[in-house]
Amino acid sequence: MTVTSNQYSVISQAELAAWLDALARTTTLIAPYKMADILLYQPVQSSREIAWDFGRPVMSAKEFFFPPSERLLLIEKGAGGVKLTETIHEGKQVIFGARPCDAHGVKLLDALFLDKPPVDHYYANRRANTALIGLACKEMGAACFCTSVGGAPDDAHNMDVMLYPVDGGYAVEAVTEKGKSLISDLRFTNADYTRQTSIANRKSPTLAPGASAGVVNPQSSIVNPQSINWPAHFDDEYWARTSERCLSCRACAYVCPTCRCFAVRDEYLPVEAAGCGPGCTQYERIRSWDSCEGENYRRTAGGHRPRAEKSQRLRNRYFCKFYFYPDQYGLGNASACTGCGRCVDICPVNVDITEVITDLAR
Amino acid sequence: MSNTTNPMKPYLGKLTAVKDLATEIKLFRVELLNGGNEAFASFQPGQFAFVSAFGFGEAPFGIANTTQRGPCVDFAISRLGSVTTGLHELGEGDIVGVRGPLGNWFPMDQFKGKNLIVLGGGIGGAPLRPVIQHVLDNRTDYGRLTILWAARNPSLLVFTDEYDEWRQAPNTSLHLTVDHADEKWDHNVGLITQLLEKVAPSPENAVTITCGPPIMIYYVTRMLEKMGFASRNNYVTLEARMHCGLGKCGRCNLGTKLICVDGPVFNMAQVGELMETFL
Repeated sequence: MTVTSNQYSVISQAELAAWLDALARTTTLIAPYKMADILLYQPVQSSREIAWDFGRPVMSAKEFFFPPSERLLLIEKGAGGVKLTETIHEGKQVIFGARPCDAHGVKLLDALFLDKPPVDHYYANRRANTALIGLACKEMGAACFCTSVGGAPDDAHNMDVMLYPVDGGYAVEAVTEKGKSLISDLRFTNADYTRQTSIANRKSPTLAPGASAGVVNPQSSIVNPQSINWPAHFDDEYWARTSERCLSCRACAYVCPTCRCFAVRDEYLPVEAAGCGPGCTQYERIRSWDSCEGENYRRTAGGHRPRAEKSQRLRNRYFCKFYFYPDQYGLGNASACTGCGRCVDICPVNVDITEVITDLAR
Repeated sequence: MSNTTNPMKPYLGKLTAVKDLATEIKLFRVELLNGGNEAFASFQPGQFAFVSAFGFGEAPFGIANTTQRGPCVDFAISRLGSVTTGLHELGEGDIVGVRGPLGNWFPMDQFKGKNLIVLGGGIGGAPLRPVIQHVLDNRTDYGRLTILWAARNPSLLVFTDEYDEWRQAPNTSLHLTVDHADEKWDHNVGLITQLLEKVAPSPENAVTITCGPPIMIYYVTRMLEKMGFASRNNYVTLEARMHCGLGKCGRCNLGTKLICVDGPVFNMAQVGELMETFL
């Protein structure tokens, strides 16, 4: 991405905060928020709640497009028969402070939920009603390796608006039409900075592959996983060894911006919630996150349990990222991993995706 | 939003018949309501659908009849888990949900003029019934039809009251076997592979269609290849506990292929190219 200084206007943090406060009055504002010591994207009421100086939230922004659990249908069963009501989320939301790896993750989910027919209604509605205001990373975290999978800490792709931390505030770039219209009322009162900020003052490193980087990339040695001949490693003994310590806890899938396996089930709604009259029972059909790491993920009612070994399940997760999903959803030579490193940080037993990539690339 | 635009929303259907087929196995005949009958106007042998027992959930089942034998849609369902238990509690006149038709199908047009060997094990016979119905209803389009039908014991054999129709059809034979016989049983005893060896159908101008437990599919197709059937002529339909049937939920992949949209029907040459075993 070529960046020239005159493309940017700069806004001070105080002005940006005031603008976000106004925004929060008309739309759901989601921003980095510190809950105890845990950094998460959360809906906030005011800019005062925002964790301005943040690294990378523990959870990705995936949940605002594809929630951990969501109602697909309200089911009402009564004397008059069965009535189904779709629950489509139509509220507007703005995610402020999205990291480039989060936006990259959304693009990868688009490939499955939107681009490959049939379109998923629930995802499509949330996607259409959400704007992403990105914030370039000032530094890469110890587990980050986005530059190995085509990303960069200041990558504006897939954002609607991109902000770059600079001296005196944030340089603002409207990336999409949606973004342009979103910031149409943004007032750049610090006129001095307008069109005067040079790239040199940007604190965000440009670490796109091939670019000369002024900042250390902690994982610069991680090769592009798409350079690995994955099918050649399918039957490797390696998977049994690597998965020995795996607990099948699924944490990696839940923090992942692109893991999207789900389960659908019906739940009874308690009587207090029932509003469909006497003799009528309400249920909801729920879709919730699931993971191919789970022990009974593939089990059928008849007892057939493919991938009973955790080595097969761990292998499936990596193959899904680097071989299956790219093939199934037309990613071409791109991987379905954003290099955010969340799974590396969350794993209680140090199963490390960067280690797997490095090992298999040898 | 209408039914046709949200593929996760089922059509409502009324059960016009619920009858016992075998121990803990029932036939559910569904008359689709409001728009569903259009969606199910032309399903093909081998396709599947999700059936909802509202309050219990939904699960995928092979469609057990042909459009020609319609207008209702049949499902043969064994009571094994929570959804199937919920379905088994329903009776005539009750409302279920149906999503589909989904997946690919047996290429019945390509099979024209060929001899067909159909091998069904237990509830695996359900998606094979439309194949048999299609051949019987278009009898002159196909060569010899040989049906090998198996179950663990006689009480688990499905579609027993249709055996006479099958036996009496021209150029058609039915061979039965059970793993464990009872005192009234006067057919073969043993695995379907033993029956297959005994019947010894010719691979000449023939295709085979197998459905049953994965372990049965594995051994039957292995034996068929030994008998000279080319793997591309051995068709199977595979199972998985899918949650969407639309290529989204990620639960049914075998390597890069998804059973729900790339299958459930495969020939064994295709199965051989999969990175992962279906076992």
